Amino acid sequence: MKTGTASSRLALVASYAILLVCAALFFLPVAFMIVASFKPDDLVLGEAGTWRALVPTDASLSNYADVFERVNFARYFMNSVVITGAIVTAGLLVNSMVAYAFARMRWRGRKLLFGFVLALLILPFEAIAVPLFYQMIEFGWRNSYQVQIVPFIANAFSIYLFYSFFLQIPREMEEAAAIDGAGSWRTFFTLIVPLAKPAFATVAILSFLMHWGNYLWPLMVVDYETYRPLPVGLAEFQTLPPIQWGDIMAFGVMMVLPVLVVFLVFQKGFVRGVAASGMKH
Amino acid sequence: MNQPTGHRSSTGIGALGKIVRFAVFPVAACCVLLFSACGPSELPAYDRDGRKLVHVWVHSGQAAERETLETQVATFNAAQDEIRVLKTIVPEGDYNARVQAAALSGDLPDLLEFDGPFLYNYVWQGQLRPLDDLLPQAIRDDLLPSIIEQGLYDGALYSVGVFDSGLGLYADRSRLEEIDVRIPEGVADAWTADEFDAILEALSDKADGRAVLDLKVNYTGEWYAYAFSPILQSAGADLIDRQSYGSADGVLNGPEAVAAMTRVQEWFARGHVHPNIDDAAFVDRVAALSWSGHWDYGRYAEALGDDLVLLPPPDFGRGSRTGQGSWNWGITRRAHHPDAAMRFLTHLLEPDEILRMTEANGAVPARRAAIERSERFAEDGPLRLFVDQLEASAVPRPRTPGYPVITSVFESGFQDIRDGADVRRVLDRMVRIIDQDIEDNQGYPRG
Amino acid sequence: MGNRSRQSGGFLTGRTAEALCLAGPALLGLLLFVAAPFAIALILSLTNFRMGTPLETQFVGLEQYRRILGDEAFRRALLNNAVFALVVVPVQTGLALGLALLLNRQLRGRVLFRTLFFMPVVFPMALVAVVWQVLLAPGPDGLINSLMGILTFGAWTPRDFLRDPQFALPAIMLMSIWQGVGFQMVIMLAGRQAVPEHLYEAASVEGAGAWRQFLHVTLPGMKNTIFFVVVVTTILAFRLFDQVDILTQGGPRHATTTVMYEAVRATFAEARVARAAAMTVVFFLIVVGLALVQRRLMKEEREIT
Repeated sequence: MKTGTASSRLALVASYAILLVCAALFFLPVAFMIVASFKPDDLVLGEAGTWRALVPTDASLSNYADVFERVNFARYFMNSVVITGAIVTAGLLVNSMVAYAFARMRWRGRKLLFGFVLALLILPFEAIAVPLFYQMIEFGWRNSYQVQIVPFIANAFSIYLFYSFFLQIPREMEEAAAIDGAGSWRTFFTLIVPLAKPAFATVAILSFLMHWGNYLWPLMVVDYETYRPLPVGLAEFQTLPPIQWGDIMAFGVMMVLPVLVVFLVFQKGFVRGVAASGMKH
Repeated sequence: MNQPTGHRSSTGIGALGKIVRFAVFPVAACCVLLFSACGPSELPAYDRDGRKLVHVWVHSGQAAERETLETQVATFNAAQDEIRVLKTIVPEGDYNARVQAAALSGDLPDLLEFDGPFLYNYVWQGQLRPLDDLLPQAIRDDLLPSIIEQGLYDGALYSVGVFDSGLGLYADRSRLEEIDVRIPEGVADAWTADEFDAILEALSDKADGRAVLDLKVNYTGEWYAYAFSPILQSAGADLIDRQSYGSADGVLNGPEAVAAMTRVQEWFARGHVHPNIDDAAFVDRVAALSWSGHWDYGRYAEALGDDLVLLPPPDFGRGSRTGQGSWNWGITRRAHHPDAAMRFLTHLLEPDEILRMTEANGAVPARRAAIERSERFAEDGPLRLFVDQLEASAVPRPRTPGYPVITSVFESGFQDIRDGADVRRVLDRMVRIIDQDIEDNQGYPRG
Repeated sequence: MGNRSRQSGGFLTGRTAEALCLAGPALLGLLLFVAAPFAIALILSLTNFRMGTPLETQFVGLEQYRRILGDEAFRRALLNNAVFALVVVPVQTGLALGLALLLNRQLRGRVLFRTLFFMPVVFPMALVAVVWQVLLAPGPDGLINSLMGILTFGAWTPRDFLRDPQFALPAIMLMSIWQGVGFQMVIMLAGRQAVPEHLYEAASVEGAGAWRQFLHVTLPGMKNTIFFVVVVTTILAFRLFDQVDILTQGGPRHATTTVMYEAVRATFAEARVARAAAMTVVFFLIVVGLALVQRRLMKEEREIT
């Protein structure tokens, strides 16, 4: 990059200006939510149309206390962690295994089955939600954790990402392992898995993002708060009279803050993971 | 970066890699556990101490209502040690959807609360058991006729309510006095629709054109059919032909219905109706009129004090009409202990308990014994109008298993009308869907 | 993502049993929880199956399809999905690309910027909808209404965005873009960083300006990344449900209804499961169609370059 010329300095200033404006617009809803979570309920809407929307008037923690008093927030949070955690970890295991079999092994039916996975890649969950709901009734799985976990473990998209990544691993390493007498299982777990860390990181994050916000499905299959995850908890809290926007915003902040922290920690790994997966050229 | 970055480990990825490695074992173990624990999700019939469990679903309701039921459950559980009542709160907006989903998988509780007119559909589907053999005759004889009427289907009683509903027009007296308008005394001299339109205009002028009417459009679900089908009936129309329950054609889309709903559309078009997204338009004294039910009485009385007046809904031609029927209780066929469920229900139906609830939610007590003891519903009590309306101008919602479709169609149709769609076309579409549903169900044959 | 380097008949032959063990769990999951439900949907859509009815279910042929295609609400839902995709896919992809390219420069505070743009991604849609409901509040007291008032020097008439047939869908698009763009941006950023720097140096030596570098180095270099982002965003656009369910319930006048919203409503509010199944199948056919079109475009692209 040339430096020092007037035009490139102008470009730099323009970049900053655009980024600053965009950043401000992006941050506005977040700031509003955080500020509102500390305000008395009537001021949330009352001050929304003024600059005071971003000023924590009469700040207190009472909205946060209200949330815990009015609903079982801790339970919802734990449910979400258990459900999403189980989907992600189990998904990493089974999807990477099948991807390895597709990418690295030659066996009868491989092409056919891989075609089957590719076809399912474009079938969105929503398209099967209703019949799956009936199927879950047949299984007797409504109102449980497994109904929110098991159907989502195997995922065509994750398989595809692992597959693309495994294709790039140099073959010589496996050959060396094969000469040492290692079978496919051992090769996979001791050689491929450590090599594929970035792919695991990427799939973990993608699948976390995909399932942490699940709303439609738990709405259909869960009646009791024993198994209710956060998004449904929020939607119900939002319609539970009296409508108190401060409380709702406090619920929101608590719902998103821990995830945000985790993501700030993993951010670098994520960018690197995406770069290292099959999405590049 | 063409080589996979396997051996380099940033903080994030290194930690994750470890997690992945150590997760393999627990995950495999979890899967085994999950699959072994996947029997049908039957609700337990007894607790650890051998007490009978009665699972109850209730609607979320207003805060005071919820707290009252909380107390009632607690006192009932404390008063004896054979039965324990466990309650689950279900949001009102999609209550029926939840019931339907749970019914399919056998997850319904023992005792189910539901909004009046859904009863017929649940009975038709075989979800509820008759109460005739369980309900003490003395209580039955003391219940309001409207409560019994609501619970009857095919000659058997399937539900009882602790209260009946009151729907009216709450008004801010000081605002009405500002525009110098007559305040109706009762059902007989309700405002005519023309008068009502003029009042909206006058109130709006006084308020610099701001919205003055609260129609509770922040609600979702049953509210629309409950609150606004009386407008149709007052105009001489209805949701469905009540003789045959076979078609809505000519009834829901006749000229009377079109005229009445066009008038409602005008209220929206002129900006008189408050969006009320925080449900505070009336208590903040922005709206001067609130079309609402008994459940808002406590909140409103507290906010407006002596300025609160309760009026009958306006007369669209055939006299003022209002809704009736409310949340009531049925015992499901899958209940393990119907007698235990009825014991809890009998507890709720004690005059003291009825009054405790109606004091909290402003509803009309379901038993005469309770009405007599209530100051609010006495001859010159503030809510006497609700009792009078039940005798004079209340119309029950259609008693047909097709009701869930009717109310769903009416709700979305009302939204369309609110948003300015052609009234006649909207009503025709509603009729088409309702009639098709009836046809698809072979006319909902009985027995 | 071709795999030209693989020689046929490699050393890993004859391990079908082992491979099936590795592949088994995931394939079983896909079969049981994705393929089977879809097959059920296909069958149900040809019946008059209803939830909870004591009446017998009958085969009605293509009646359900005839009905939904004749239903104005469903047709509007299809249109809304299409409009949503046509607007959101290019805008979101373009914005993500733009932000990624800006952030790829050696700017001070780029980590902070990246974090800010990425932040909404961790917001579940249910929460996004709730927060935006307040931001979009009607009347002059709403934050966005008042912001528009300031930006237009008072010429803006406050609106009830979510109840306004013209503004409801754009409002939902706006919040969806806000929520989703940070994610695409990170992928774009990774894609951009994978373009070898020497190509830019070479272009620079040949005297190519920033614009021509963008056209001839950046775009071809990021082709696969952009394609990936477009595919994912398109599929997400067709899945639109949560925002609609929480904010507008499909209104006003079906202005925000979507195929998924109609299907869920048919199932749970009206118990018409067969109807919902037919919607599901139509929905799937559309997604397949889109995927085929995209694949073909991609192929042509490959043949040209």
